[in-house]
Amino acid sequence: MQKGLSLDSSQSPQNLRRDRINRLFARAVVIPTVIALALIGVLLLDTLYDTVSVQVVEVTETSGKSFALSQALTADQVIRLELLAQGKSPEEVAALMSDPDEMRVFRLRNRVELMWATQEGPLRWVVSSIDDERIANYSLFEGLRRWNELKEGLQENQQLRLNPWLDYSFLTRDPSRNPISAGLRVALFGTLWVLGLTLAMSIPIGVGTAIYLEEYAPKNRLTRFIEVNLRNLAGVPSIVFGLLGLAVFVRGMEFGPTIISAALTMALLIMPTITIAAREALRSVPDSIRFAAYALGATKWQTVTMVVLPSSIPGIATGVILAATRAIGEAAPLLIVGAAAYVAFVPRGIFSEYTVLPVQIYLWISANLSEFANTAAAGIIVLLVTLAGLYALAFWIRRRYRVEW
Amino acid sequence: MNAAAWAQKKPSKSLKERAVVLVLFLLALVSVLTTAGIIFTLFGETLQFFRQVPLLEFLFAPEWTPLFAEPRYGIGALLAGTFLFTAIGLVVAIPLGLLTAAYLSEYAPFEQSVRVKGIMELLEGIPTVVFGYFALLFVTPIFQNLIPGLNLFNPLSAGLVLGFAILPYISNVASDAMMAVPRSLREAAYALGATKFEVVTRVVFPAAISGIVAAIILATSRAIGETMIAAIAAGQRPMLTLDPRETIATMTSYIVQAATGDQPAGSLASRALFSVGTTLFVLTLTFNILAQRIVERYRERYE
Amino acid sequence: MMLQEVAIGHETVRWEPVPAEEAVIQVQNLNLYYGKHQALYNVSVNFPRNKITAIIGPSGCGKSTLLRSLNRMNDLIPGVRIEGKVIYEGVDIYDPRVDPVEVRRHIGMVFQKPNPFPKSIYENVVFSLRLQGQKEGLDEVVEQALRRAALWEEVKDKLHEIALRLSGGQQQRLCIARAIAAEPPLLLLDEPTSALDPIATERIESLLLELKQHYSLIIVTHNMQQAARIADRTIFMHLGVLIEEGPTNVLFTNPKDKRTEAYITGRFG
Ligand SMILES: Nc1ncnc2c1ncn2[C@@H]1O[C@H](COP(=O)(O)OP(=O)(O)OP(=O)(O)O)[C@@H](O)[C@H]1O
Ligand SMILES: [Mg+2]
Repeated sequence: MQKGLSLDSSQSPQNLRRDRINRLFARAVVIPTVIALALIGVLLLDTLYDTVSVQVVEVTETSGKSFALSQALTADQVIRLELLAQGKSPEEVAALMSDPDEMRVFRLRNRVELMWATQEGPLRWVVSSIDDERIANYSLFEGLRRWNELKEGLQENQQLRLNPWLDYSFLTRDPSRNPISAGLRVALFGTLWVLGLTLAMSIPIGVGTAIYLEEYAPKNRLTRFIEVNLRNLAGVPSIVFGLLGLAVFVRGMEFGPTIISAALTMALLIMPTITIAAREALRSVPDSIRFAAYALGATKWQTVTMVVLPSSIPGIATGVILAATRAIGEAAPLLIVGAAAYVAFVPRGIFSEYTVLPVQIYLWISANLSEFANTAAAGIIVLLVTLAGLYALAFWIRRRYRVEW
Repeated sequence: MNAAAWAQKKPSKSLKERAVVLVLFLLALVSVLTTAGIIFTLFGETLQFFRQVPLLEFLFAPEWTPLFAEPRYGIGALLAGTFLFTAIGLVVAIPLGLLTAAYLSEYAPFEQSVRVKGIMELLEGIPTVVFGYFALLFVTPIFQNLIPGLNLFNPLSAGLVLGFAILPYISNVASDAMMAVPRSLREAAYALGATKFEVVTRVVFPAAISGIVAAIILATSRAIGETMIAAIAAGQRPMLTLDPRETIATMTSYIVQAATGDQPAGSLASRALFSVGTTLFVLTLTFNILAQRIVERYRERYE
Repeated sequence: MMLQEVAIGHETVRWEPVPAEEAVIQVQNLNLYYGKHQALYNVSVNFPRNKITAIIGPSGCGKSTLLRSLNRMNDLIPGVRIEGKVIYEGVDIYDPRVDPVEVRRHIGMVFQKPNPFPKSIYENVVFSLRLQGQKEGLDEVVEQALRRAALWEEVKDKLHEIALRLSGGQQQRLCIARAIAAEPPLLLLDEPTSALDPIATERIESLLLELKQHYSLIIVTHNMQQAARIADRTIFMHLGVLIEEGPTNVLFTNPKDKRTEAYITGRFG
């Protein structure tokens, strides 16, 4: 049988099939990316959607007024109107409002917020008390569809509102057992404290380790052991670090469930990440630069601190920021070392109790979903926006300061 | 001949250099101490645990109920939950991850592969508490409409979302392995008239198989250690079952549940907690070391 | 490599050897080993003060190695072993009591590839002063060093821009300025123009001729014309052995050793 190179040999049924499979596969390899992108999109949209709801609220006698935007432009003006409406004289109101302690109490017990829609009309200031009870909570779609019906069904002392959970006052309110007045303030401060302290400890350790391994370490068994150990440590589940923190910091050193315990745990957790990033940054500095410094009479330490380290700062900074995003997003180890307790106040020092953003979100999710789903969603958006900001910063540093050797 | 004054070594300076090296060395030791700390605390508490609970009970009891009046300590219930959760995650992540790896190493033009890697980084950067929320509030309600008898907390939706959380690990490591396959191998196959699909599946995949296996092992280890998705969406009720509709507990979600409830140090329940932690640690460490070994081996091969 | 035999035990041909009083640095019976591999065999030579000495020879013959042993840069390479003496200002720089860092402050070095620090031009030049903690008079040093390196006019308006943006030739002159800012009496240059185009090379050559009024210079080069143009004396090396040394015109017009002749007439590796 003769097998020449004929043009229609590709037309044989078998080759047609091979060709079709080949082309199908070339398309199929893109599918996972598309799915992943879609998943991220749906996740974001769904969470954003959950940050808005329609609710029916039973208000207490002492509060529950709403004020048109034309009556008051700022939250303070609303508070004045509210206090006046509660029957206080203008002098009393002025005295109350000039007393910071009184205002703190007022803000703790009330929520002053611009709602997108209420049964009295759109864009009205609403004052709700933490004693207000939520009767019903509807998703945006359902709530709007049944808006009129719900409005008809309102009883006395009940209010209907379209509630945008995620607004400025959400960031400034203290936590509360009532979702209406629960806010992120304490968790935000907790995150700042824990993050700051974590970085303060893990940057020197991580960068120091990297300098040792890249610039000083002799090539021996011990060095090799340290390297292997670092790599394995980076793969240890974060929750195991939580157990370590629980046993050593919370119990062993008796720090209890405080910021210092959390930061120590977190510092150990992200230290390998920082070390690995810093080593890469140091390695990218060419040896010719080191020799240049030595030839000018620099000691080793001068070479490292005056030339090598400054040249690798952009890389190290990027790595540190990425490690920081990890520290901000991790909930598991902090749950173990005791961030779970209900904390009502902003931390005052490293021995304060605390909560952090992802832990607060977890608590809201696990507390009672029908109550806290909206606050959890709002919290997630805050968390994601924070992380996105940090990623953007890292990206910017990488582009702006990268040294082209 | 004497060394002139200008060239004399200054002892103070070399002392300073040596102090610097010492300090840096001590900083480098922190990571070793951390590992030692993990091993000592976990194994210490676990040894105490086994003083009170027989190993056979731990290995073969059908239930894990340390807080009951008649406590049982069968790690099997937690392992089953972990297995279900991890397996479902892998079923999602392996095909998607390998296809992505094939795309990155064989098909994507440069800018496109940068973009795809960006998307994978995005997935990696999303905190798992967010994934948990999504699994519980978005995926589970949809599944509940489709699958009768599905519990609110179930490993099915949790595992599905987990699959996306570990997808980047598979695609990264596997695409590295595939890119390490020498060009000449591909060209040999093309010269024999193979289509691109055949080259990828019959030449590149087999040649990169050890790297791909390493990628899967690494992702498995991540999945076993993944905590928040499991704690939020899969449940915190230990159960010896392989039914993905049931509420279960993974080792991690049990640790969260137990540690957030207050257990006094030194109590048996607290030690049980650490024994679960030890199991988790040993399991993930084994997987990680295995993956590293395999990766090192194929690095050598293509040196 | 053309010649595979190792030229050990060869008697160096010396034309008008430099007397010890006129030498800025004296190499005496220097042997150097990279681990087991011996790279220099019993090298002895005196380098004259305020002159340019060129070191030539085929690739891998140990030119860079010899140069680097003059300011103890070889110490930075693990596994290097050195025997013999290098006497600078009456001190054997390999005396155990000598601090190599101090040696490098007196003997500057410029490398084959320009290697400015990723800092501003200004910071590059004052680097050696910063090492000593000097804080005053930096501006004057910068101007003087850059003028001597024939770079001042080109960069005086952008002293605080990052040095990596300069052209290759400018970068190399900056590296020279950086090396001479500390006023080292002796400057070593390892193929300083091999990465540069002819115009930049020309500028650096005329710069070196200027510099020799203030400094002693030793330059490794692959470029025979370059050696002929600028060097007062030339050293020819082969397989780690110093074959012949003498005034440049003598060595180039009247080489005594066959290998020197073969090399300078271009019939060689
Ligand atoms: N770091 C090192 N480790 C081991 N051997 C080395 C090292 N540097 C140089 N050598 C060896 O020493 C010998 C001399 O090298 P050197 O760099 O001094 O040559 P060179 O004359 O400068 O060559 P070129 O003209 O190519 O720069 C060579 O055989 C080289 O292989
Ligand atoms: Mg050389």
